[in-house]
Amino acid sequence: MSFWTVTTILADGFINTGKLFFLTLLGALPLGLLVCLASMSKWSPLAKLADSTSSKAMQWIAGFRPISAVMKFIVWIVRGSPLMIQILIVYYGPGLLFGLPLLPRFTAALLTFIINYACYFSEIYRGGIQSIPKGQYEAGEVLGMTSRQIFFKVTLLQLIKRIVPPMGNEFITLVKDTALVRVIAVYELIWMGESFIKKGMMWPLFYCAVFYLAATAILTFALDRFEKKLSYFN
Amino acid sequence: MKKMFAMLLALVMSLSLLTACGGSASDSDVEYVKDKGTLVVGITDFAPMDYKNDNGEWIGFDADMAKAFAESLGVKVEFIEITWSQKAVELETKAIDVVWNGMTITDEVKGLMGVSNAYCKNAQVVVTTADAGSDLKALSFAAEDGSAGAAALDAEGIAYTAVLDQSTALMEVASGSVDACVIDLLMAGAMIGEGTSYPNLVIAEELAGEEYGVGFRKGSDLIENFNAFYKAAYEDGSVMACAETYGIAKNIIAQ
Repeated sequence: MSFWTVTTILADGFINTGKLFFLTLLGALPLGLLVCLASMSKWSPLAKLADSTSSKAMQWIAGFRPISAVMKFIVWIVRGSPLMIQILIVYYGPGLLFGLPLLPRFTAALLTFIINYACYFSEIYRGGIQSIPKGQYEAGEVLGMTSRQIFFKVTLLQLIKRIVPPMGNEFITLVKDTALVRVIAVYELIWMGESFIKKGMMWPLFYCAVFYLAATAILTFALDRFEKKLSYFN
Repeated sequence: MKKMFAMLLALVMSLSLLTACGGSASDSDVEYVKDKGTLVVGITDFAPMDYKNDNGEWIGFDADMAKAFAESLGVKVEFIEITWSQKAVELETKAIDVVWNGMTITDEVKGLMGVSNAYCKNAQVVVTTADAGSDLKALSFAAEDGSAGAAALDAEGIAYTAVLDQSTALMEVASGSVDACVIDLLMAGAMIGEGTSYPNLVIAEELAGEEYGVGFRKGSDLIENFNAFYKAAYEDGSVMACAETYGIAKNIIAQ
């Protein structure tokens, strides 16, 4: 089989890899921000149960933040368990546990990736938000801005600038993590590469690495440009 | 907040309703497949049973018979390449309707799914390089994880490296990382010797005879349907004609 035939077959798989990559970012970037805001939620419904004179235990109960607690638990589960197992659970789980019809393979893979990456992104967002000095929030409040205005007009731009490098790390990891979806028979790049082993050829699988390298090269370049564009303060 | 809680509750309730519906669906697998209009066939790339021709179409003895079976049901056929070790889960969750890929009938397989009458004979064979010794105990082995070849090695008390699939096992031998592997005779016939990708490999010994069957969901009425279809196809000669095309006429079991 010629080099060109192999390249076109691998390119077919790479299209699926690319689709998964971009759609994951499209879903996970906004969802991550929601997860982040929820895990930072200060809502504590029991706050009125205690004041400064109450016992330590009562104060602990009063300080309980249910939304934040639930979100942190979910983030722990998602970040703490292997992505490959999550893919298997999302695809086969509904059928095995409840006898429900399954999602299409690609959809199940995409859903898992969006949830998984949103959890990682949420922590990066949180780091970014908390790195903005408190004085800026106070200054905003003094000027009579609402917390919504402070977030969008003061915090957000600085935030984006600070989270670009760690986000870039995650993007590059995501490019290669897409290979995991072959456990539920989504035919991405590595699946295509492996299929040549049956024809007695190992080199197409190694050749796959070139595709990943090219993708990360483009990504690194784009992130670099983006970072330069944002460096208007220095 | 109250609104959100109410919406969440509604979501949970509608989900549990869905679950309840799942159980009460029609029990007939034949009806299920006919309603859907497609027979989803779980396969792997496994010449000469299921493999792609130059146009990217699935052909092979099993693939061609699967097309004929789907036609007899009046539905379309769809081939899906699956991870072989997940075949039982794929069936049970209805991701596929049938496993049709030169599947060796073992007690383990019969425990996991409903199996048709045997339709093809096969054997597990030891494949080595031409210059390897003939003493099996002195060789290092590879075999597909969970395959009949691995079971044959277990029965002989020979240790082996478990690999992803049969073609990887061959690759291990060709690359010299092991001395020998155990794979299907059918596959060995198609993939080693002169004019193939592995001209230097030979069959050293036959380990265990076995039979192939088609896998369905447990208790499925598709099994009876298939057995009747296959018997008729054998009697009118179309099975043998198909077997001739793929060079496995000697392996076919009379129905």
